[in-house]
Parts: sequence; C-alpha cells; structure tokens
Amino acid sequence: MRVIAEGLGVRLSGRVIFENVAFEWNGPGIYTVTGNNGAGKTTLLKVVAALLHPGRGTMRWENSTTAALTPAQARAHLGFAGPEIGLWEDLTALENFAFGARARGLDWSAADGAAWLERLGLTGRGDERLAGFSSGMKQRVKIAFAMLGRPGLVILDEPGSNLDDRGRAVVDALVREAAEHSLVVVATNDPVEAAWGRPGITL
Amino acid sequence: MGPSGDHAVSRAIEGDAVRRILDAAGAVFIKDVTTELRSRYAVAATATFALAALAVVSFAVGPFGGRPELLAAFLWTVILFAAAAGLAQAFTREAERRTWLTLRLVAPPTSILLGKWGVNLAVLTAIEALVVPMFLVLFGVEFRSLPAFLAILLLANVGLSAALTLVAALLAQARAHGALVSALAFPLVVPVLMAAIVGTRRAFTEPGVWPPECRVLAAYAGVVVGIGFLLAEHVLDD
Repeated sequence: MRVIAEGLGVRLSGRVIFENVAFEWNGPGIYTVTGNNGAGKTTLLKVVAALLHPGRGTMRWENSTTAALTPAQARAHLGFAGPEIGLWEDLTALENFAFGARARGLDWSAADGAAWLERLGLTGRGDERLAGFSSGMKQRVKIAFAMLGRPGLVILDEPGSNLDDRGRAVVDALVREAAEHSLVVVATNDPVEAAWGRPGITL
Repeated sequence: MGPSGDHAVSRAIEGDAVRRILDAAGAVFIKDVTTELRSRYAVAATATFALAALAVVSFAVGPFGGRPELLAAFLWTVILFAAAAGLAQAFTREAERRTWLTLRLVAPPTSILLGKWGVNLAVLTAIEALVVPMFLVLFGVEFRSLPAFLAILLLANVGLSAALTLVAALLAQARAHGALVSALAFPLVVPVLMAAIVGTRRAFTEPGVWPPECRVLAAYAGVVVGIGFLLAEHVLDD
C-alpha cells in the first residue's frame, strides 16, 4: 500500500488542527507520526483511514493491483486500532474477531480464533465478554482486530497504551510481523515505539 | 485466516460484490442480534413504552367497544412511538460505545444499513408479538379478517422499520440523535401510519381479505427500501 498526502489541512469547530501536511509513505514498513498532545495526530490518522475528509489538500491511496483507491475502497484495505476505535464489549474476543472477519468477507474458523488468542496470550479467555477484560487485554484484542486478514495498511494510534511489559512484547512482535507485508503507521509519543520505523511526520 | 494469513483482505474484496454485501449485512445482523439478546436495550425501551401505554389507556378508558377506527389509531400510535423509542438506538449505541468508526471500517455502507434494518424489523416484529395479543385481550377486539390484519401488520412493519432505520442512519453521529430521529421521521411515516390505520379498521370491520391499503403499504416499503439502497453510500460515508 502507498499513501500520499498533499497540502492536507483540517479545521474542526473553527480551530485549525493542522495545515499544509504532506508525505508519501510506501509499504511495507513502519512510519511514525509524532507530536505533542493535541497536535492532531489522531485527526491525521482518521484522514489517512478515510474516516474524515480533510478540508484542504488531497489524500491518495494506492495498492499493488489498483492504480488508486476510493476512500471506501481504502477503508476496506486497512485496519485501525486506537482510542476512538472501539470493539463490541457485549461480545467475546472470538465473537469480535469472527464479526470483523465475516463483515470483510474473510474466511474464518475456530482454529483461526484459537491461533489469535494464543498469539495474544489470551488462551482460555476467548469465551469471556470483552467488558470483563482489563484495558491492556482489550488493547491487545483491538490491535489484533486491526490486523485481521493482513490489510495493506495498518494504522495504530498509541498502540502501547495500557499495556504491561508482556502486552508490549506481544504488540511489538505483531507490529514487526505486520511491517513485513503491510504499510504500518504508528502515532506515538513513546520513544521506544517512535524508534520502530522511519519518521513519517511530526505535527 | 489466523495470524499467519496472507493478504486475505485483498482477495476477499475482489470477490462477488453482491454476495459480499449480503454476507457483511448478515454479519452485522448477527452481531446486533447477539448484543441485543445480551443487553435487551432496544427490546426493553420499546416494550416498556408499548406495554405501559396499553395498560394505562385500558385501565383509564376501558374498551372502546364499537369504535374500531379509534382502536386502530390507538394500536398504531403505540406501535409508532414504541418503534421510535427503540429503533433509533441501533446507530446511537454504536456512536456511544465508540464502535461506529470500527463498523464503518469493516462493513460496506449498504451492508450496515441492511443489517441494521433487519435487526429493527426483527425487534419491531418481536414487540408486536407481545403488544398485539395484549391489545386484543385488553380492548376485546374481534376480527372480520385476520389475514388482512396480519398482511397490514407485516407490510407496515417493513416500511416503518425501513424509514426509521434510514433516518437514524442519516443522523448517526448527530447530537440529540433520539429526538432528531423522532422529529424527522414522523413526517416520513405519516403515509404508512395512515394506510395502516385505515387497513386495520377494515380488518376489524370488513370481511374482505386484502384491503386496498396493502398496495399502499407495499409501495411505500418498496420506495423506502429502494431509496435506502441507492443512498446508503452517501448516507453513511461522512
């Protein structure tokens, strides 16, 4: 996946969030988005995820088989995990995964679910509702949800938030593996996460 | 499609578009029915209003014996307000629980609308399965044509749930969502309400099998569902 931004600007409620943002990110690999709190990192990620139209400038998404993707096509090719991207807490982790896979037209089996739970260190917890999970466990499930089906673009907003050392190791491994085949964009203020990949942009 | 899959998303997108939309709509439907069965949010909101309204009016006023037009109007008023109280929640809950953006990422807009409509139709039908027998008993209603009544109920449900789902989708991220859905949906559902009331009165009083209002309700349902399909991308894209 390739993502190109030219002259991006977003204004929300009369306030300029950012302007004249330009970048070109080519996958596979990791690009980082850094900046102070309130600088507009999450807003920029929403624009990259085709969930928010920028007031100014253009966003282009390209993959290897299609010259350019529409915003709707781009959404179908990406996974996004972040504080504003929730999962269904009345469902179990396995039910969330199964829903995400089926809604995207992916094949899904019990074996797939078991493999993901093992990878996340959640074996035996698949039948518990997400509402009963700790914030760190939910964060791991969210990141896995974003990576279902190996989308061409994976967007992670503060992926290490709420994670203990074990959770960070799990997410670190998932991100590094995803970066072998996908464009991974990570917004973070954590120096360790910021060192995962190339500097994408600082807001 | 476990952690070691290989770009399954790209392969899935290249599949048959209609089948993908229907499969995703089915996934949305199953997800919403599962969460509804566990939380009973929409059913509780809808059934509470409907049953309370029926009980209060039946105790206060007593049976409207000999006034089928009033009975029909009362039944559909209860159903309409109960539906407005419960069905608008389909989108509000996604926004409140921060799952709205997730849903938009994984399912095509048409599938979201179709799946939510299916759930709303099921909830409305379930509520009527509770309300209608209670209404018949409390008000001592006798039918001249039960098939006509069931046909009116079915066709009105399709149109009513489709119209409320479409308006709720339009206002998915608006503040004061519930109040706005009610205010904007009521003018839209006046035709279905009027036809349902007249058709129900006929079912109470006339032995004919198919009241002409069935055609009105079928046409209304067809138009609203058609508009929903045509506008889904635009309604849910922003």
